[in-house]
Amino acid sequence: MNSIWLIHYPVWDLGALGGGFLIALMATVHVYVSHFAVGGGLFLVLTERKAVRENSWALLAYVHRHSRFFLLLTMVFGALTGVGIWFTISLLNPTATSKLIHIFVFAFATEWVFFLCEIISLFIYYYTFDSMERGRHMRIGWLYALFAFLSLFIINGIIAFMLTPGKWLVTQNFWHGFFNPTFWPALFFRTFMALMLAGIFGLVTAVFTREEALQEILMRYCAKWVLFPFLLLMVAAYGYIAVLPEPQTAVIFDRSPEIRPFLTLFAAIGALLFIVGCLMMARPFSIRRKRIIAFGLLIAGFFFMGSFEWIREAGRRPYILYGVTYSNSVSAQDMEKVAQQGILASTRWTQRRTIGKDNQMAVGRDLFRLMCSGCHSIGGPLQDIKALTRTLPVAGMAAMLDGMGKVNDYMPPFPGTEEEKQALAIYIVEELNQVIDRETPVIAPAQRPFEQPLFHDATDGYVLLAWSDQGMQLLSDADCFFSLTSPGLDIHAQLVRRGEAPEIVSDGVDMTYRIEAGFETPARQVDYWRFAKTLVGKEVAPNMGAAGKSVTDRMEFMEENLSFIARKVPVVPYTSADEFQPYPLIAVEARDRSSGNLLAATKFTAAVSTEMGCRHCHGGPWRVQQTAGISDPTARDILTVHDRINRTDLAVRAGDGAPRSCRECHPSREDDPGKPEGINLSAAIHGFHANYMTGRGADACVLCHPASSEGFTRGFRGIHHTLGLDCTNCHARMEDHAIGLLVTELNAAKKGASRLMKNLTPKMTDDMNKIAARKPWVNEPDCLNCHQEFQPPDVDQVELNQWTKSEEQLFRRRTDEVGLRCPACHGITHAVYPAENIFGHNRDTVQPVQYQGEAYPIGANRNCKTCHTVDMTEEIHHPNMLGMFRNTQ
Amino acid sequence: MNIATLIPTPDAIPVHWGWLRFFQIVTFFIHLLFMNIVLGSSLIALLEVCGNHRGKGTGVRDFERDIFQKLPFVIAFAVNAGVAPLLFLQVLYGNLIYPSSILMGVYWLSVIGVLIVAYYSAYLMKYKFDALGRFSHFLIGLIPLLFLYIAFVFVNNMTLMQRPSAWIAYFTNAGGTLLNLRDPILWPRFVHFVTASVAVAGLFMAAVRSTGKPTGEAGAAGHVDRGMRYYILATGTQMIVGVWFLVKLPTPVRGLIMGGDPYFAGLLLVGICGGLGGIYLALKRRVWPTIWLTLVVTAAMVLLRDLIRAAYLQPYHEMKVIPVQPQYGPMIVFIVSLISGAAVIGYMLRLAFRSKEERMDPAP
Repeated sequence: MNSIWLIHYPVWDLGALGGGFLIALMATVHVYVSHFAVGGGLFLVLTERKAVRENSWALLAYVHRHSRFFLLLTMVFGALTGVGIWFTISLLNPTATSKLIHIFVFAFATEWVFFLCEIISLFIYYYTFDSMERGRHMRIGWLYALFAFLSLFIINGIIAFMLTPGKWLVTQNFWHGFFNPTFWPALFFRTFMALMLAGIFGLVTAVFTREEALQEILMRYCAKWVLFPFLLLMVAAYGYIAVLPEPQTAVIFDRSPEIRPFLTLFAAIGALLFIVGCLMMARPFSIRRKRIIAFGLLIAGFFFMGSFEWIREAGRRPYILYGVTYSNSVSAQDMEKVAQQGILASTRWTQRRTIGKDNQMAVGRDLFRLMCSGCHSIGGPLQDIKALTRTLPVAGMAAMLDGMGKVNDYMPPFPGTEEEKQALAIYIVEELNQVIDRETPVIAPAQRPFEQPLFHDATDGYVLLAWSDQGMQLLSDADCFFSLTSPGLDIHAQLVRRGEAPEIVSDGVDMTYRIEAGFETPARQVDYWRFAKTLVGKEVAPNMGAAGKSVTDRMEFMEENLSFIARKVPVVPYTSADEFQPYPLIAVEARDRSSGNLLAATKFTAAVSTEMGCRHCHGGPWRVQQTAGISDPTARDILTVHDRINRTDLAVRAGDGAPRSCRECHPSREDDPGKPEGINLSAAIHGFHANYMTGRGADACVLCHPASSEGFTRGFRGIHHTLGLDCTNCHARMEDHAIGLLVTELNAAKKGASRLMKNLTPKMTDDMNKIAARKPWVNEPDCLNCHQEFQPPDVDQVELNQWTKSEEQLFRRRTDEVGLRCPACHGITHAVYPAENIFGHNRDTVQPVQYQGEAYPIGANRNCKTCHTVDMTEEIHHPNMLGMFRNTQ
Repeated sequence: MNIATLIPTPDAIPVHWGWLRFFQIVTFFIHLLFMNIVLGSSLIALLEVCGNHRGKGTGVRDFERDIFQKLPFVIAFAVNAGVAPLLFLQVLYGNLIYPSSILMGVYWLSVIGVLIVAYYSAYLMKYKFDALGRFSHFLIGLIPLLFLYIAFVFVNNMTLMQRPSAWIAYFTNAGGTLLNLRDPILWPRFVHFVTASVAVAGLFMAAVRSTGKPTGEAGAAGHVDRGMRYYILATGTQMIVGVWFLVKLPTPVRGLIMGGDPYFAGLLLVGICGGLGGIYLALKRRVWPTIWLTLVVTAAMVLLRDLIRAAYLQPYHEMKVIPVQPQYGPMIVFIVSLISGAAVIGYMLRLAFRSKEERMDPAP
């Protein structure tokens, strides 16, 4: 149908009774009684036959009494709740109901004929019980059982179709839909379930039989009806699972967290029914106990049946008719078009077609009703949207909507525009949850003056260059919940002896470093050391890094790096006064080993920030100063989400005082101890979150990383920031970044990579296959992609697959022609000279200012004398060395 | 707002719409008969009790008992026979009946609960008629009230579905508590149906007592007489109600009935003449001719009702434009099962009647 209208029906606003409560109520009671109606028919006639064969008046009288109970329960309550289901589904999901009715109208009509035959045969059976010749009467009983089974036969075909439409999706052929993949196992399963329920209901009437001997006989007789069908039911259940297609199996047994409790319930009650059935066969009970058992089994049977139906219904997610209609009533074939047009433009039953500030909340309410209320109540017993989203701020809710139907593929995609997502998010967060999510205004950081190290051109014989290996380390400080990274920066230093032919020296030199005052006791500021045993598998001495270095210590010369290095220096961005300060200075001194004389001294910033924006989506406040840190509620929500999606128990472990390191399952670097079969951390985190942040630019990056120009850390502070570049210029957009990482994991056949990838759309190319695999920390932005041959760039955007080929090509590892490392002269990534740090003008440019009196790279503007003591005419370090600095400030 | 926007696109049907319309009309006709008996007989029971209390009635207790002996059976068949026309209605008019049902969802769904209460009450009256004492009076009052409520809800929905212009009220009330109270034909249509139900039920009571045992059973003649009296009174009243209903119909539709379309006019004529003829025959106490004539009138009214609905919906919905994806196999299976089912029902009834005649010893 070529129409812009793709969402057709009004939605009944049920509030707390939404979320399928009505259908759950109606369906569970009906299904219980209707299966009894099927199995009970056979129970009646077979028990009657038993009575005739055994010539037992008492047993026959019991059958007569039971048939009256059967008539009153199935004919009235069973029949009318069946009609009730029909009424209810047409009210709750008319789109799917209409589809079903139109496809299966004559199946329903045929079932109606069988229903009529059931009514008449049951009336005759009951009302002629004492008057009809026994053989004829049993014939009527057999006919009732047959028609009841035929009713099940028909309805089973339709219900099974809803879960597994099979070939119908291609052929639209009625018979393919009816005899679908789960038709036969479902029919057997339901038949055995019906027989089992007949035994349970038989027991309920049996315990009111006055004759004790008969009661005993009936107890054992009914127990057989419970036990033997139960065993066959288990076989049928196995067959049922075996024929389920992969997506449905994945949703039932893996994806949907809501199904798990029902699987457990189903298994537990199954075991209970079996045990009680055996007990009833084995020994007699007092009348009181018999009654308790009978009614206990009646209740247990209800939950047994109910949990199965719940699992089956939920197994259809995200559809209500698998592959045909989503649970939000959008037709599968229309979903993409709705996503293009937007929900409001596709919906017949709305009066609001545009979104403005004045109607945002009202539109959100409409959208909730249209898209969410089919599965979610507002404050009700089923799938309460308030409880499920209470931790989410608006950004998190919007991201959740963005990611729907992707990683969590048991929910349908939300086909709204960005404005519609925002409106719905605001409605849920601000009106339903009453959370007014106002970002706390960022406090402007106080300038932190420091003593600039001096350099005397005439007398100083050495130039000391030092840096950390990351220009913007992101540190998680929720160590009592999880740890993304252990505190620890690698710091480097190169000592250059000045002269016309300067040289990098190491022999006879002692290189030490000392952290800025106030940062000496990181173990008091973060909990990493407290939980190191469970986080990294060993105790770590307080204030020491994982490689045995303290915040004030010696550095060792590494020949292969031509530099002094101290690994994993435990720098945290908190002072002993609990102040958040992401740029502590590290002072480095080089001394003559034999004399102890100071050869050179300098400082650099060790940029470490805990301004990790998890709270933007996971809710909760900042941990410190309303500025940084992962607070307990935020961390808890992260683990809850992880547990829900990945069936882990991280929140419980954390609650038990045994938090885990993310790298345990997601090893990030080659040397990470962890399970090699897990997706690496970078691929997992970027891959997962990319599904929730589609179509964004650098705003997606700075939601988590402390690089926002409106944040506190403002970690992106070098010349590239000054020139107006953002994260995506070098790292590409979120989707491309994530896909490259995931391709590596996919090639390594790691579980979950395809799940994270399947809904990502690359931005740099139309063809996903063109994105090459890349490893984190190895295949990174390469400066020489833009600065080809060290020349001014013609482009300022990374192109497809332009990453460093190996670690040796990384900016922080690479050297010039004489062995000087790139960061030694240019500063570190994200803060390449000249860099502007909001905590102090020269905080990131201590060394160029110290040695050259200006913030440009060492040697820039032909400052060759800094090391060479004379002007130079040859570009011995790298090409373009003698060009004047272009972007002067 | 363009009202047509609100009408969902219909889904494709598997056979020519004529088949579905045929099944819908035929099964509705059957449902209507049972439903009329249910509602009408429960109302008659109430009227009888009221009459008895005023000291006019004699032997009323038997008449009531007779009603409640049969009521649960008739309810069962009324419900069953109601399923089929509602099914076919949803296939042909699903895009109209679903929105209207949702608009009045609370009332529509409440029908199930109310029906369960009414049905069990009827069974209680059947099995415990004498034991209930004064409580039976309460149930005699309650049961017709519940059925009247159900009838009222159905009339609301059936009129609301053919009046999309009223659907716009959804935008101020999406809670499912709307009714079609502003529709001028709501009340006349409701009263028309209720009145008809009394007539049909009266006739049913008379028919039951005039089949095979009118002379042998005490009070049978009185029952027949009472039943026919209800038929006459209700059908007479229907002449006035019918005029009221006709007057309240929208002018274009009324125009069709008043001669604008020969089918409409012809069916109405059959209805009026059949009603008058029925009264004449009933006065003569000719039960079965009255019944046959009433069946003809009912069939005419069912057809007229269907034509009126089509006329109402003409600007919005036409069956001939519903897309068809032909698959006739399932319909053939349905027809075969219907015929086979009827044969088996015949066989079972034969067994039942034979056993009644033979009165076999119930010993095993």
